[in-house]
Amino acid sequence: MMFKYFTRALTQRIFLAFLISIIAHAVVHLAPGEPSEVDPSNPLMKPEDIAQIRMAFHLDQPLYLQYAYWIRDLVNGDLKSFKDSQPVLPKIWERFLNSLPLFFVGTLIVWCLSFPTGIYAAVNRGSKYDRLSTFGSYALISLPSFFLAYVAILWVVNNFGVPVLGMRTFGLEDASGISRFMDRVWHLVLPSFLSAMGGVAVLSRYVRSQMLEVIDQDYVRTARSKGLDEDTVIYKHALRNALLPFITMFGLMLPAMVGGSVIVEQIFAWPGLGRLGYEAILNRDYPVILTLNFIAALLTLLGTFISDVLYAVADPRIRLQ
Amino acid sequence: MILKNALLFIPFLVFLGLLQSYLWVPTYGDQTTAGDGRLEKFISAISGDARLLNPIVAADSASGFVVSHVFDSLLEIDENLRLKPHLAKEYKVSCLATIVVGEGFSPESLLQKISPHLTSEASEIRVLEPSTLIRLIDPDGPGPLKEQEVKVTRPNRIEFSLDDVDPSFFEKSLKVLGAEYGQEVTGISAVSVSGKISEGLISIATALAPITEIRPVIDFDLRKDVTFHDGEAFDASDVKFTYEAIMDVRNLSPRRSDFEPIESIHIRDSHSVRVIYKRPFAPAIFVWSYMGILPEHLLNSVALDKEMDARGISGTARDGFGVRASKFNRSPIGTGAFKFTDWKTDESISLARNQDYFDGPPEYKELHVRIIPDSVAREVEFKAGAVDTYLADPHQVARYLKDPAYQPFTSLGLGYTYIGYNLRREPFQDVRVRRALGMAINIDEIIDYVLYGEGQRITGPYPIQTDWYNHDVLPEAYDPEKALDLLKEAGFHKNSEGFLEKNGQELRFNLISNNGNPQRKAILTIAQNSWRKLGIRCDTRLLEWAVFLKDYVNTGDFDAVVLGWGLSELDPDLYQIWHSSQTGPQQLNFVGYKNNEVDNLIENLREEYSRTRQVKMARNLHSLIAKDQPYTFLYVGRRTQVVDRKIVMVKRNESGSVVDYEKLRPTPTGNLNYFFNRWRKLEAIPDL
Amino acid sequence: MTRKNIKSPVRETWSHFSRSWFSVSGLIILAFLVVVAVSGKVLTEWFVVFDAETVRLPQKLLPPMSLANTNSFDETKGLLFGRYLLGTDELGRDVFARMLQGSFVSLSIGLFAVGISLVVGISLGGLAGFYGDKKIGIIRVDTLIMRFTDVMLAFPTFFLILTVVALLPPSIYNIMAVIGLTSWMGTARFVRAEFLSLRDADFVVAAKALGASEMRIIFRHMVPNAVAPVFVSATLGVASAILAESALSFLGFGVRPPYATWGNILSDGRSYIFDAPWLFFVPGFAILVVVLAFNLVGEGLREALNPQLRRTK
Repeated sequence: MMFKYFTRALTQRIFLAFLISIIAHAVVHLAPGEPSEVDPSNPLMKPEDIAQIRMAFHLDQPLYLQYAYWIRDLVNGDLKSFKDSQPVLPKIWERFLNSLPLFFVGTLIVWCLSFPTGIYAAVNRGSKYDRLSTFGSYALISLPSFFLAYVAILWVVNNFGVPVLGMRTFGLEDASGISRFMDRVWHLVLPSFLSAMGGVAVLSRYVRSQMLEVIDQDYVRTARSKGLDEDTVIYKHALRNALLPFITMFGLMLPAMVGGSVIVEQIFAWPGLGRLGYEAILNRDYPVILTLNFIAALLTLLGTFISDVLYAVADPRIRLQ
Repeated sequence: MILKNALLFIPFLVFLGLLQSYLWVPTYGDQTTAGDGRLEKFISAISGDARLLNPIVAADSASGFVVSHVFDSLLEIDENLRLKPHLAKEYKVSCLATIVVGEGFSPESLLQKISPHLTSEASEIRVLEPSTLIRLIDPDGPGPLKEQEVKVTRPNRIEFSLDDVDPSFFEKSLKVLGAEYGQEVTGISAVSVSGKISEGLISIATALAPITEIRPVIDFDLRKDVTFHDGEAFDASDVKFTYEAIMDVRNLSPRRSDFEPIESIHIRDSHSVRVIYKRPFAPAIFVWSYMGILPEHLLNSVALDKEMDARGISGTARDGFGVRASKFNRSPIGTGAFKFTDWKTDESISLARNQDYFDGPPEYKELHVRIIPDSVAREVEFKAGAVDTYLADPHQVARYLKDPAYQPFTSLGLGYTYIGYNLRREPFQDVRVRRALGMAINIDEIIDYVLYGEGQRITGPYPIQTDWYNHDVLPEAYDPEKALDLLKEAGFHKNSEGFLEKNGQELRFNLISNNGNPQRKAILTIAQNSWRKLGIRCDTRLLEWAVFLKDYVNTGDFDAVVLGWGLSELDPDLYQIWHSSQTGPQQLNFVGYKNNEVDNLIENLREEYSRTRQVKMARNLHSLIAKDQPYTFLYVGRRTQVVDRKIVMVKRNESGSVVDYEKLRPTPTGNLNYFFNRWRKLEAIPDL
Repeated sequence: MTRKNIKSPVRETWSHFSRSWFSVSGLIILAFLVVVAVSGKVLTEWFVVFDAETVRLPQKLLPPMSLANTNSFDETKGLLFGRYLLGTDELGRDVFARMLQGSFVSLSIGLFAVGISLVVGISLGGLAGFYGDKKIGIIRVDTLIMRFTDVMLAFPTFFLILTVVALLPPSIYNIMAVIGLTSWMGTARFVRAEFLSLRDADFVVAAKALGASEMRIIFRHMVPNAVAPVFVSATLGVASAILAESALSFLGFGVRPPYATWGNILSDGRSYIFDAPWLFFVPGFAILVVVLAFNLVGEGLREALNPQLRRTK
């Protein structure tokens, strides 16, 4: 039973991945415009040169053949960026490693902050604290993130006089290992706080409403009526049950790595995946756009698959559907 | 309760852990003090990362900047705009002139007949034996390639070696010989073709076997004391290889058309090369003043094969693997004043001083380029002293001009901005309307307030600092009243709503431009406003670049556009932009400008080799086009690089000790980097 | 039981809603915003009382409350008290008038985007929830729709933005569309869930037994019951649509002139953050206040409409 459920979920997703790759390819290639290497409006470039470049990029071929070339090169690992002729996969991997710490610290902040805030607000529902945290978390997501980013950068640079841009302080190669490490941690602080902001607001509201729902359930009342102290009731019985829906969220967090932080990476000069994708779009670097989107789609599918599996394991009723 | 406490403590610990890192980070103040060698590092900030660090494929400004420090060219343009030897010790321009021996002549009798009519003295005269040429050519021009094999049989020819390029060497002789001379042995009769003969083929084939040829020659004598950064000596094979790599179609070099006039390059000995051109083309020598020379030993087919093996590239991918795909482009090795050391993608590129540089090592020990995409962020880093220079936006420049801590350097660009009118549509067919529209816009005010004075007004199709520009054409003054009179003359009158109309048709049109250029956006708004004051309704739209080109410009579906051209300083050719044959879809004369006089002049200019006559013709063209006003020509923009004022130029005496400091200065063409190797940063702003 | 004690659902909701001071002030701000937006449209475009378009280059980047220089311009028309209340921008246009004009555009982008997202979300979610068991060929309708939702969720947002910018001619409607079409997936999911649970609810089963038509069941019985959460998410959706528009403007994909929106005023203003901070902070704070108001009203509605949460009080 379990096995059948998994295989069905898996085949569905493989089919989906295939579909997504076709749609993505068609959309990118049907969009007007050509790679910035092909610049027909540049009077210094002769039509022969342009024809040559288009041929090298297979842009003169019918769409289905271009799709075939893309898939073939992707599988062989021969896929090269138009921009610098470097292989696409290592390029993406390099950026992935740069985005990873940002993503990790951001997620850490989100989860660390949301749970205490949300639980406390639920327990003290209607109190001054509850209302303040509601207001605070909505205030955080009510500002355009780039507005906040500029204000934060200017504030830190003017008041503390330390660099905040980039992944590390420039020219610190000769410092000791520990200070280089701490320097990198410092450069994570602002961008990860900024990218965590929205997450904290959303997740803490979610934790709060989950807790409120659970607190009224019968088993919590029973536990309370048994005379257990309030902390045990809340943190042991209620929280454990409120946690179930969060399992799904783990899976869905993965794709946020790709598109989640374009603006923050752009402002903080962070060489991550979001910036890679954004610049590839501006340059119409098809191999990079396509591969990046395909990977993001695969990650999402993987994420939903994982959360389905976790759910099925945690809650056997689902499997019977 | 453990969990409750943990939920409180973990966030606390995380924040503490994150925030304590502040204590480890050096402040800007620490970074800019002399202690850790900051004064010996030059740090520049740039908005986009470099693409390929290789002179033959570098097209963006970041790559260009790095490449110019890592590679050297054969020649240089010095501060007086004259060519100066660099990797080449010496160079000499001469010429080979050949004439076909026609039917009824022997080489001797031909020579006898024409020698009184030759215009220069030949240093050497040779008779060339008959030969055959085999070429693959594409008769249809660009598009899917359909190559045909062409075999050209060339008869006896006489070759004269001349000390100077003389394009008219045979002019008189040909008159004497008559128009029919040599027709029977050249052109299509000398060509045998595989497959169908089309009209395109005939013209190409005729060009392959002309009756006379004037082929300029440049002989370069190379320096013998130059080595690449890996220790290998620089020699003639590197020059030849660089040319071949540019022409190799696999490398998609954007410089290919610049080198197209070259017929061949010959290695005469290990340190001298001869470049032979297909035809006289005066600006051709300038390509040697910017093209960096590649190390042949690292990029020839043996080296590339080795690299492919190491990277496990096999099958069809091997065929397309050229210099463009090589790892060399991410860790280049040249002969330049700086050696490449490190490239962190989208973060920074680092170079280190080349101690053995043939021209003497530069003052700076290290040269770094930092990539900071956001303009506010760039300014923040620059003001904090973490960056020594960057290209400032016009409104920032206004601030730096007043600040004693910085020195801004401005140079005119080679591009100009204009408003173009679609001449196929009413009412733009009437020159009075175009003039009126131009007069209604206060261009000087745009330059003063939108560009903060960082631009210069132009009146015609050439950048103002080039010789081609005609300074006798005066700009039309801002005069909305006269503009209104002109429009009335053209038949427009104000209707009851206060808008202009003609035959019941309101004067209303659209003005479009591409998104992402703040200056064009401002011009769009200003033009709309100025025209509305005359009573013209103008709808403006900003479109994404790709959409803008494909759906509007290329299809001719627009009334007016705000756009710019980037031109070359060396070449006065206007064929693509102004010739009436270039008005089709996808072509650059998208406004549909047609003027026979201009057409003839453009064609003649293409075949003219004398600089003085070129200048005269170009200026003539300028005034013709300016009279027609198919565009409202606006301005040539300036670029401003701001540099920390602590940076100066070092002057050393012959024994190498520092004599004096000078203020930084650019060359007359605005090249600030020309003296870069003499730059150095001092601890305090000097009194210069 | 007297009549007085039976509250209509609307009144009951209101009494819960009005308990929160934040929500009420949010609502007041929103009411004010609507007035501003409508008058913005009327006063800057139909009857030009505030002139948002005239370019006065010599008077650019003037700080707020500057007196307009009347010497060079015969017309002080379009200014209040002859002053630039919020200063001028880089072309010398009146920021106050532009903000006023932008309020209408920004608000309509938010509303239309959410409208699109709701229409798509409710129809797909409803179809999946109600007809989920029907089959097209071998695939269940529910599977088909929910997998499609997954596909949409699988694309990163910036990719979808490119898609629409690329495929359709760029216009303000397409910005609305792109925001709407990238945000319906959540609505579809919970409408489906709501329908699934309502399908088996007593009153629906009863209606079916009485022979009510499917359409009647859907629109009379199920939609009104599912509408509460939709309403909440719509309110929050407007907030995020306004933010999304400003983010798009920052990346250069936003609404183009001649339309002024708060988002593009803000993103143009950022280059002048040192020279003319008001160009940056005025639209920034305007966005903060309005988006916050939408969020607080949405939160208040959520609390007031949630019967489960209501019970505990």
